[in-house]
Amino acid sequence: MAVVTTDLDRMIRDIARIMIEELKLEDVTAETFDPDIDLVDEVGIDSMDLATVALVLRDQYAVRIDEDDYPKLTTLRLISEYIYKKRTAEA
Amino acid sequence: MKTVSSLLDEHWYARYKKISKLNIRSSIYDVTNRCNLRCKGCFFFSSGEHEAAPEEMDLHRWETFIDKEMERGVNLAILIGGEPTLCLDRVEAFYKRLPTFCATNGLIKVPRDRFPDMMIGISLWGDEAAEKLLRGKDTFAVSSRHYAGDPYVYYLYTITPRQIGQTERIIRKIRDVGLKVHMQLLSNDEGVDGFSWQPEELSTIRQEMDAMLDAYPDTVISSKYYHEIITTGRMLGRPFGWMECPSVTQPLDHRNPQPRRLTNFIRWASDLQTMHRCCTSETRDCTTCKDGAAHMSWVMVNKRSHMRSTKDLQNWIEVYEMFAKLYQFIPW
Repeated sequence: MAVVTTDLDRMIRDIARIMIEELKLEDVTAETFDPDIDLVDEVGIDSMDLATVALVLRDQYAVRIDEDDYPKLTTLRLISEYIYKKRTAEA
Repeated sequence: MKTVSSLLDEHWYARYKKISKLNIRSSIYDVTNRCNLRCKGCFFFSSGEHEAAPEEMDLHRWETFIDKEMERGVNLAILIGGEPTLCLDRVEAFYKRLPTFCATNGLIKVPRDRFPDMMIGISLWGDEAAEKLLRGKDTFAVSSRHYAGDPYVYYLYTITPRQIGQTERIIRKIRDVGLKVHMQLLSNDEGVDGFSWQPEELSTIRQEMDAMLDAYPDTVISSKYYHEIITTGRMLGRPFGWMECPSVTQPLDHRNPQPRRLTNFIRWASDLQTMHRCCTSETRDCTTCKDGAAHMSWVMVNKRSHMRSTKDLQNWIEVYEMFAKLYQFIPW
């Protein structure tokens, strides 16, 4: 059966790559990064990390992440969906 | 990928989860330029910060300013001075709006009918002799009478080299009046003779601080890792200094590379317009700065660096818990 790769799946992998590079995460690749792992409780990311990533995402996708939204962006999937929806809404 | 739960057992992971999403955003406010003491070694007066800006006297302007600070995301106001209790209306403007910590020398009692649960940190610089020498007065006699048994008060005990071997007596005095204590080290900004730390003294006082924590765990709010950091000036092999300090006022922070730092942190002068460079004196040598809060914050903003091992992450948790207790984000 053919694997269907959606735009969102691609975005998850791309954002995983950005997070790995910006936060210098070790022993993980974009392909092995669990999109549902809790970034704060498990990966140990804090608001400064998220702000760092948000800057790169703003440049990459022209989408600004409101600081007030940080607390709900607890996984890679939620961040990707946030960006995806904002981009889709603006398109 | 190394994860938090892979490094911690159930007990430590539960402790981690209690603090992991606190997202503390503090800033520091000089409430007034005036004080009812003139302590030798007080950075505020020795570096001329009391003359940096004229005080804003209009209470309404303070209220408007605080509202804007909250819009900026500040969720912890740390009030210093001068002596904040000289201007209780300004203190109240903060307290009514957001979590507030007030540093004081304890000579004026904060009325609990107006401030029922505001956390108060009373400065203490040693025993009776040291207090008289450095501050002109034994403040403990007054402050302990004002606050005995108050659950929202602790002593901020600034240890000097002359206190080596004397700390237990102070800790017991504090315990006996039903209060708690957090320890930090004098930076000796005025270069008072005999009050600058020598390396062997720092090593000795570290052991003494550890012993106090072991002997009086219900009184001393601290952690051995904090003792290590504050006495060695090193964390994970890195020396403390300007290029590492997390407590630099954000709009004035042009360091490159940018270190990990407190988000949106500003230390405001009492005109509500002037910003001080950092949480302490601009004239201080950062390489020998002993500021306790800056060193705690240094650990706190470097969480993922502490994910090297179980012990490192446990150390991080203990320091974060200590900070959260001192500023009332979690109970004692």
